[in-house]
Amino acid sequence: MMDILIVLEDNNGKIHRMGLESIAAGQRLSNEMGLTAGALVLGGNADGLADQASAYQLGEVLKVNDALLESYSADGYSEAVKQIIDQENPTYVLFGHTYQVRDYVPRLSAKMNKPFLVDNIAIRVENGQPIFTKQMFNAKLSADVEANSSGPFLVSFQSAAFSMDAAAAGSASIRESTVQLDTAMIRTKSEPPFQEGAGGVDLTSADIIVSIGRGIGKEENIPLAVELSKALGGELAASRPVVDSGWLPSAHQIGSSGQSVSPKLYLALGISGAIQHVVGMKGSKKIVTINKDPDAPIFEISDYGVVGDILEIIPKLTEAIQALKN
Amino acid sequence: MSEREVLDLDVLFVGAGPASLAGAIHLKRLLSKSGTEASVAVLEKASEIGAHSLSGAIVDPRALRELFPDFPDTDLPFEAEVSEEHLYYLTENKKIPFPFVPPSMSHHHCFVTSLGKLTRWLGNKCENEGVDIFCGFAGTKLLYEGEQVVGVRTGDRGIDKNGEKKPQFEPGADIRAKVVILGEGTRGSLTKNLIDRHELMQGCNPQVWAVGVKELWQMPSGTVPPGYVAHTMGFPLGQAIFGGAFLYGMQNDIWDLGLVVGLDYQNPGVDSHHELQRLKNHPWIRSLLSAGKMIAYGAKSLPEGGWYSIPKLSVGGAMLIGDSAGFMNGQRLKGIHLAMKSGMLAAETTAEALATGKFSESDLADYDSRIASSWIRDELWKVRNFHQGFDRGLFGGLANAGIGLFTGGRGWGIKNRLSSEAGHKKMQKGVKKNRYQDLQFDGTYLFDKVTDVYYSATAHEEDQVPHLKIRDQDVCVSKCTEEYGNPCEKFCPANVYEMLPDGDGQRLQINFSNCVHCKTCDIMDPYQIIDWVPPEGGDGPVWVNL
Amino acid sequence: MKIAVLVKQVPGADSPLPIQSDQNWVDEGAVAFIMNESDNYALEEALQIRESMGEGEVVAVSLGPDRIQKVIREALAKGADRAIHIQMDTEGVIDPLVTASLFAHALKEENFDLIFTGLQSDDLGMGQTGIILGEMLGMATASLAMATELGDGKIKVKRELEAGWFQWVSLTLPASVSIQSGLNTPRYPSLKGIMGAKRKELKVVTPNVIDATQSLEKVYLPKSEKQTVMIEGSADQIVERLVETFRNEIKVL
Repeated sequence: MMDILIVLEDNNGKIHRMGLESIAAGQRLSNEMGLTAGALVLGGNADGLADQASAYQLGEVLKVNDALLESYSADGYSEAVKQIIDQENPTYVLFGHTYQVRDYVPRLSAKMNKPFLVDNIAIRVENGQPIFTKQMFNAKLSADVEANSSGPFLVSFQSAAFSMDAAAAGSASIRESTVQLDTAMIRTKSEPPFQEGAGGVDLTSADIIVSIGRGIGKEENIPLAVELSKALGGELAASRPVVDSGWLPSAHQIGSSGQSVSPKLYLALGISGAIQHVVGMKGSKKIVTINKDPDAPIFEISDYGVVGDILEIIPKLTEAIQALKN
Repeated sequence: MSEREVLDLDVLFVGAGPASLAGAIHLKRLLSKSGTEASVAVLEKASEIGAHSLSGAIVDPRALRELFPDFPDTDLPFEAEVSEEHLYYLTENKKIPFPFVPPSMSHHHCFVTSLGKLTRWLGNKCENEGVDIFCGFAGTKLLYEGEQVVGVRTGDRGIDKNGEKKPQFEPGADIRAKVVILGEGTRGSLTKNLIDRHELMQGCNPQVWAVGVKELWQMPSGTVPPGYVAHTMGFPLGQAIFGGAFLYGMQNDIWDLGLVVGLDYQNPGVDSHHELQRLKNHPWIRSLLSAGKMIAYGAKSLPEGGWYSIPKLSVGGAMLIGDSAGFMNGQRLKGIHLAMKSGMLAAETTAEALATGKFSESDLADYDSRIASSWIRDELWKVRNFHQGFDRGLFGGLANAGIGLFTGGRGWGIKNRLSSEAGHKKMQKGVKKNRYQDLQFDGTYLFDKVTDVYYSATAHEEDQVPHLKIRDQDVCVSKCTEEYGNPCEKFCPANVYEMLPDGDGQRLQINFSNCVHCKTCDIMDPYQIIDWVPPEGGDGPVWVNL
Repeated sequence: MKIAVLVKQVPGADSPLPIQSDQNWVDEGAVAFIMNESDNYALEEALQIRESMGEGEVVAVSLGPDRIQKVIREALAKGADRAIHIQMDTEGVIDPLVTASLFAHALKEENFDLIFTGLQSDDLGMGQTGIILGEMLGMATASLAMATELGDGKIKVKRELEAGWFQWVSLTLPASVSIQSGLNTPRYPSLKGIMGAKRKELKVVTPNVIDATQSLEKVYLPKSEKQTVMIEGSADQIVERLVETFRNEIKVL
């Protein structure tokens, strides 16, 4: 039995990073509310995932192996997790807000007629009750959401709302459980996933963004930023003036007429912080700014600021990061 | 869909402003009374009615009451009846009340109004009358058969920035109509073409414009009296620049602060946006606004020339109404009632034309006669020389206006008609004193232009050819820099024009996406090489209650 | 082939969002509304399917107060055959179980083959209504479709996954699919389309009130408790400190 059930997801044989972040969330909730927390792994063969999960401080790890869960399906996963919830009767069921969770957990919510409180960026406990905070209006506003029914409550967390490094290590026992599925209930057939060439630039799912503004000076300097973004393993983005000058395609643009992002790290290089740009990135978890103008408004929303020459700093930074990674 | 759509209508109004909407409502009622069937539509370039409507405004209810005689004032879309009015002369730090408000400048029994709200309300009434309002369609070309206007072509949609067709390309539609009524507002683009082609300004004074820039400020609860009206002269414009400020109290604790700047100043460095920020530095304004939050920004030009700048109003198949024709009372700072009345008079001419089936120039000239014998003429006649007096500076203008009160509007008391010159010609060459040396934008009370533009919620399809056509960009980077210091950077209230370094020289960057459709550039550019044409339909500001 | 497309009216991307003094919601009187972006793509996808099949019906469905008639008429102008308006005040209503139930009630008798929704609304961003509705009506479901292919009583959907990965999933009909923006090029309404919209059927239904399982406590501007840490020194010192920050504090290295 557990009060908090943390549902982990398989990412090529390893626990999906956002699952680890949910463990951190679950552990915090467990500490603050004095509740027990456990994890659930499921799949065709979830033994490996179960072992990984047992290395964290949890009450126990529940493992479900079922041939019909080998391949992901919304029908199969929503039914399986529902059955586990019926068996274990947790009050809170936690998820990372992954593409897979977006695909099946609403089905779970409907099957159970219990609320799915989605994409939370924070959770706090007030008068013994949890209040969930999510973003609304493309992160322009925050909203506090409350559950009105009795549990179980389905809760998902936005990427990097919690840090996976905050997931405390420990030793948890593994318990196997079963679900009743049959082929007739699975009405979909999936082909193997595939990767598509870098057609569009999807900045919204990037964890690290290196963004350049007018301060980059000229088109010839752009490769410096490209190198840095590669070294960091991030995506390259830009504010409007860079795109308007034709130095980067508009797919890289962030701001009111471009994309809205909230990555773990937004590195702003030579960006002044005009409001048109800021509305597209101020939800970023951490903002680091390098700009030679100490009065640039962007410093006000930055976590870390450097008043300096980006053309001098970028190549040195790239070198240092490459050295670290080698 | 890549075939040009053709639509046949009886009457097409271009521009869903108060003139066209009042006209369309009036027309539908006349037709229904006479039992005539006719299709009436309105073309609007904004994505929705009201999105491109901007004014102060104080509305004289006269035309609305004619159109809706059974509606009590409370049912009409006003913010509040003018409850108190003030006229001040401002110095940098002081505020000196005028000893009295001349009756012709009084706003008694008028109503503080948001034009956006008014047009949405009229739009609703219009649709209820069975008028089709096509939002998101810009009229870009007049269709002719010989010299007879026979319709309007709308803009192509889906052309990329290189002029190539995008997958969703759709050619503009040809809307054929027996009567086309242009209510495009200030400095209409089809209007400009019509006037040029048919030489409608022959014998008239050139039109002169002003630009109005405004900000809406949300104040704490209970701190703004709706219906409060103040107008000012003096600071920040001084004696040599025509214009003044307005401050109106709206509903919901919103202050409506604006500045009207005549587009006939001499100093090429004048920047109406910056002047508005300077105005906010005045201790009186600061005391009113600093506890609040700026929530919206916008700008629009307005025709100031008066009666003698109004062109011939009709040609075969077309008529001009509202600000496109220049019906604005500069002295009272009111034009909305005149616009509506002109639309209604055009509707009367149209109803008759539809009955007889005749739409030639001589048939539609009936509209010009109706205007000449209407209260529009009565009102505008009395102030026919108002703006022209200000060629002698602020005090000259006030004196002229004052004398005009006693002489039925004669210029300087004696001349029936004062001549005037187009505003852009008044701009003087050479660098003048920088008026904005001490102006600092803090981003919370005084805003730089780029920040203010954000609050106009203006957006344009990025991948399109810029809608600001400059006939010779070489002039921009050479002659204009030397002679005038590139005033486009200053007179545009939306940061559309930017001179940027380019190797050893400079280049002109057109941030067309910032455009708020005020038309100042088309009006004020000293070489008259800028042509404002409508961008793709639906583009532009998204004003809610400006 | 009957396709229902759920369309929502939401504040435009650059619309002002003034918060009411009780913080319960935004002041809708000051908001500029548009059709939700991904719903526009969903509508286009449905229209293209009807066109390629040469038969079928696309029904636009929307839930909200009177002002939403604007997006309903936009959908009709673009080519939807008829529309259903579930009329209710939506201020503060955030529970997708509630909205999906109301849609289910309005749609279940009609036996749609397909229900398309945008992947999420740009105001609340709950991203669930279409999937929940599918469950309530006993349909197969899929989310974040980047392409669709119909055939043999099935619909194949190219699901968007993380980090540039995709997966084709084949679903039996009836199915409810949520559509990702960018999968097609939405058409402009034609003038005739706009005129014709007035003559198409628009059924207004008033639903029964249902209890919500989650509610909005308040909305507010995101708090910024940022204390900017300024990093100073020579370029080398700055770089060293940045790497350390990335590694130990932000944990991206």
